[in-house]
Amino acid sequence: MRRSLRLTAAAAALGLTITACGSTAPEVSADGGGLGTAESPVSIRVIANDAFAKQWQDQLVPEFNKKYPNIKVSVDGVPYNDQLPKTMLELTGPTPTYDVVLGDDSWIPQLAKTGGLMDLKADVSKWTDAGYDWADFNPTPLAAGQWDGKQYTVPVRSNLLLMFYNKKLYKKAGVAEPTAETTWEQYFADAKKLVQDTDGDGKVDAWAIGTYFTKDPLTPTVWQTVLNSNGVALLDDDLKVAFNNEAGVKALQTHVDLLKYAPPGASTYQFNEPLEAFRQGRTATMLMWGSVYKGTAVDEASTTLKPEDVGLTTLPAGSAGPGAHRGVWSAGIAKKTQHPAAAWTWLQWITSKEGEQFTGNTLGTFPARNSTLDGTPAAEWAAPVYEALKAGYAAVEKNKMWRPRLPEADAVQQILALQTSRAMSGQATAEQAIDEAAKEITELLKSKGYPQ
Amino acid sequence: MSVSTRTPRAGADKAPARGSGPKTAQRFRLGEPGTAWLFMTPALVLLAGMLLYPIFYTLWVSFSDFDLALFEPVGWVGWKNYEMVLRDPGFLESLKVTGIYLVIALPLQMILGFAIAFLLNVEWRGRGALRALFLIPMVVAPVVAGGVWRMLLDPLWGVVNYTFGLVGIGPVEWIGDPTLAMVSMILIDTWRWTPFVVLIAAAGIMALPGDVYEAAKSDGAGRWQTLWRITLPLLVPVMAAAFVVRWLGAVKMFDIALAATRGGPGNATNVVNLYIYEKGFRSLEFGSASSMATIVLIITIVLTYFLFSISRRLENRW
Repeated sequence: MRRSLRLTAAAAALGLTITACGSTAPEVSADGGGLGTAESPVSIRVIANDAFAKQWQDQLVPEFNKKYPNIKVSVDGVPYNDQLPKTMLELTGPTPTYDVVLGDDSWIPQLAKTGGLMDLKADVSKWTDAGYDWADFNPTPLAAGQWDGKQYTVPVRSNLLLMFYNKKLYKKAGVAEPTAETTWEQYFADAKKLVQDTDGDGKVDAWAIGTYFTKDPLTPTVWQTVLNSNGVALLDDDLKVAFNNEAGVKALQTHVDLLKYAPPGASTYQFNEPLEAFRQGRTATMLMWGSVYKGTAVDEASTTLKPEDVGLTTLPAGSAGPGAHRGVWSAGIAKKTQHPAAAWTWLQWITSKEGEQFTGNTLGTFPARNSTLDGTPAAEWAAPVYEALKAGYAAVEKNKMWRPRLPEADAVQQILALQTSRAMSGQATAEQAIDEAAKEITELLKSKGYPQ
Repeated sequence: MSVSTRTPRAGADKAPARGSGPKTAQRFRLGEPGTAWLFMTPALVLLAGMLLYPIFYTLWVSFSDFDLALFEPVGWVGWKNYEMVLRDPGFLESLKVTGIYLVIALPLQMILGFAIAFLLNVEWRGRGALRALFLIPMVVAPVVAGGVWRMLLDPLWGVVNYTFGLVGIGPVEWIGDPTLAMVSMILIDTWRWTPFVVLIAAAGIMALPGDVYEAAKSDGAGRWQTLWRITLPLLVPVMAAAFVVRWLGAVKMFDIALAATRGGPGNATNVVNLYIYEKGFRSLEFGSASSMATIVLIITIVLTYFLFSISRRLENRW
């Protein structure tokens, strides 16, 4: 009898413990957790990408604390490949670890679908500063944080796939520098001349292009841009495959053909390899995310190039206009946070005119606000860059150059990555790869309940 | 509560009956089985939590529709995920790729491992240093090994192609070519794991009974005869054990492929574990990924059982 009692007591204790573990977060106070005082500061945690988390912690947070000393911010960096599942778990878990979550462009519908993100224009509006100017945002980066008619996130690191070019290598090859009007046909004609022997030893030591070629979800963004610049979308308005046609094959083939003018081994190029090749003056052009500009042309510790050596423009034009591809990192607030007021204050500051100018000048982050884009940047190198960025934003807006806006976007990119890689390595022709990708994406969307 | 591990013995009935003595002297005895279970309980709880729970959870997910909004399995879908997986050409191809890797890499590592162990067993100056150097690849993290080899094999910057270039070969697309990517993956894996086989083989060789060799020598057996008729048969149990252990490691192949080739180009080196990982943690297709994991678990159990049977038979034969 006594033994049974003991067992019952133990079971009850365990049950209580489990119940406690599974309990939901307590209600948020009316002041949204407040902004803290000197005696009792508020702490918030941010889950960010490890590529820039440390930079934020070391440089951005101290600057923020000059204005808001009682909000302590911890920024945790997570590798890109782990960040989406970790953030999904975070948003759906019973108790929140992070108050602010960051997401890449294509993740936002998926994160929003969890129901774990606040609508920044409704849920936290009572803590929105009167001077916070939503209308000042350029619509292209702002749209990255929208889904289903709501603004779940706000752009914190605007980015576009753009074309970098090495002016010295263009001059050496006797080729005119590319402009927003340069077409793919002209580009390929120039590419032949850009594969050159620059030191006269009889060996080729500089090539025309470096970009993503390997099996990676970001690799298809190159030919997706070509497709979009010809006025064709990846999926139509009914979310049915729209690239299984001549335009799709041509776009992928264009990407595959670029390999002919790339350095040996370029088929394995992901993010770092083309960047290194360009920074060391081995490639004349690079299709890459614009945010690397400062590290590529300004920071002497990471590049051999100088701002006057590096040009930035949109990708070669198709029949519908020049190309670019949106890749905006934006940040939102976890619905279960106990400190929505502090979290939103932090986000408002880094996306304010003041915060954006600081990140632009100090970290080289691209702005999302028209006032910053149209203003005079503190750094001289930034002026032509902002011009290219504005042209890129316009191109993106005109031809809808972004990854699919649906919760299954990452799965779609995975399929495209595999088939792109098969075409790159000669395991399939561009036509076969496009056919297979179309089939698999249709199957995927069908299994998720989309009418196909 | 005090615990006694004493077992009942003859004359135990002479001891005071439970509860008959003063209360302070009362002892709660579990007996040997009870005590054993008591001490095993923490381990069992850990085992259940860390092994059985993930397995059953994976099984549950494989038969469910995984709701990304709730991030948990909801609704029983029966065999739907399994049907989809068996129709997935990528999964079937990844099984094939894994098979090719295993069929080439395992025998290669076994042959190299035992050959090197024989060489290290012969007395020569410096073999101690070489034996120590052989252990280095084993202590390098697989992801680091994959990443470093990726750099070494790079056609533009890598030292391997530079060396080949000195004799007019190349540049060779070690990672970019589908066939060479598989060769590279096997080479990296062999570089990393052959020392492990060497270690086991060397221990086995050193444990061989000397009197058998003396008898063989007095019977006039030559070196080859000794090797084929005595050494190798005596080493069969060691070989079988090394093969099974290596097999259990090799079927988990993931990190080297991820770091060196990322499964590419195309599906050329997309081993099944990498494919499942990408399906689950990149595409967030947890239902399909769990079904694949379950299928792979069953295949692995069956093949491991088969290998153990062969291993036992070989041990009994010699």
